[in-house]
Amino acid sequence: MSDLGPEISDDEALAAEHALGVLGAGERAEAEARMARDPAFAAEVEAWRERLAPMAAGIAPVSPPAGLWQSIERSLPANDNAVRFWRRATFGSLGVAAASLAVAVALALQPSPVVTPAANQPAQFLNARLDTTSAQPLFVAAYDADQRMLLVTSLVPPGTDPAHVHQLWLIPSDGKPRSLGMVEPGKTLAMKMPGEMAPMVTSGVALAVSVEAPGGSKGPGPTGPVAAIGKLAQI
Amino acid sequence: MAARIDPLAALMPKIAAGDRGALRQLYQATSGKLFGVCLRILVDRQEAEDVLQEVYLTIWRRADRFDGARAGVMTWTSTIARNRAIDRLRAGGTARFAEPVERLEIADDTPGAEALLQGAQENEALRRCLSELDERTSSAIRTAFFEGVTYEALAERIGAPLGTVKSWIRRGLARLKGCLEQ
Repeated sequence: MSDLGPEISDDEALAAEHALGVLGAGERAEAEARMARDPAFAAEVEAWRERLAPMAAGIAPVSPPAGLWQSIERSLPANDNAVRFWRRATFGSLGVAAASLAVAVALALQPSPVVTPAANQPAQFLNARLDTTSAQPLFVAAYDADQRMLLVTSLVPPGTDPAHVHQLWLIPSDGKPRSLGMVEPGKTLAMKMPGEMAPMVTSGVALAVSVEAPGGSKGPGPTGPVAAIGKLAQI
Repeated sequence: MAARIDPLAALMPKIAAGDRGALRQLYQATSGKLFGVCLRILVDRQEAEDVLQEVYLTIWRRADRFDGARAGVMTWTSTIARNRAIDRLRAGGTARFAEPVERLEIADDTPGAEALLQGAQENEALRRCLSELDERTSSAIRTAFFEGVTYEALAERIGAPLGTVKSWIRRGLARLKGCLEQ
């Protein structure tokens, strides 16, 4: 066997083949699908892409024709990647928990949520309504930038789904979710935004709630389905 | 790899958040390279322009999936460009793959192909490691990379059984990895 040189596992060979581009259409689609659900495999493919990338780095740059940027810019759809990411998460691993939450709220929802801004409200107040994918509001939030105070009220009936907790996340413009703690069904979470995070809380950033096992997500981001998401805005 | 400082990485979250100015900056920094990649694979200029446009639309839509810990921006965007160009090439039908077997050998012996592998320092290690492989294998790997040729098409071109071509390439990739890690 020594003339065969070093061995790599079948999985790694597949990752390398995918990075190289020798797989046929069917296998390639399978490899893409596997990357989406298997982070270790995805990392292997990326590592192989990095290994092979210097081949492309050797390709001399060629200036594209003037005017191409303008036609790209004209064809750009409005982007809302951050929200789309969360929506996808909701649809993905979803969602009995999120769906049943929505149903529970639909059954119990009182007419109008609490956050009614005063007239001539100063600019430092931001509000958000966190909806499910079917536009069902589950949480409302208000933020006072001066005081760095965030209030988040759960519209989920108390006692709903005691096997899970609802974890609140801030998704600032860098797209990386920061945990803000747990919101109990039917209760209001009041928290002082930590000083280093306060600058991230601006109009347009998103708040989201994921459904997690007791104790909350063990990872840097949500591990359970996303129940609701909304953007902070001045009303 | 992940520890390398990547000045373009800061643009990605902005693009993901819908900042057109950031995409424009990325375009200015990368379009020459990516157009080069598209042209290298497609040859036809008009097709390369169409694909380049698709590439930036893909970057716009998928910027939220960029993970700086796993890949550099240049690698990530070049991969998109290469995949898109290869998709286009394959969509062009099988006629373009029906090249004579010899072309595979000749193409990779030319100074042109060799020159492609020169430039950045990283290239040096990969170039050296590719040259340590037997000629047949390194030329198959290069052809696959630059032309998006599948195992089936490679086997047909070389006139060798599919299983044989697979085992050359797999073994070649394993050796390449061992060599790059030295």
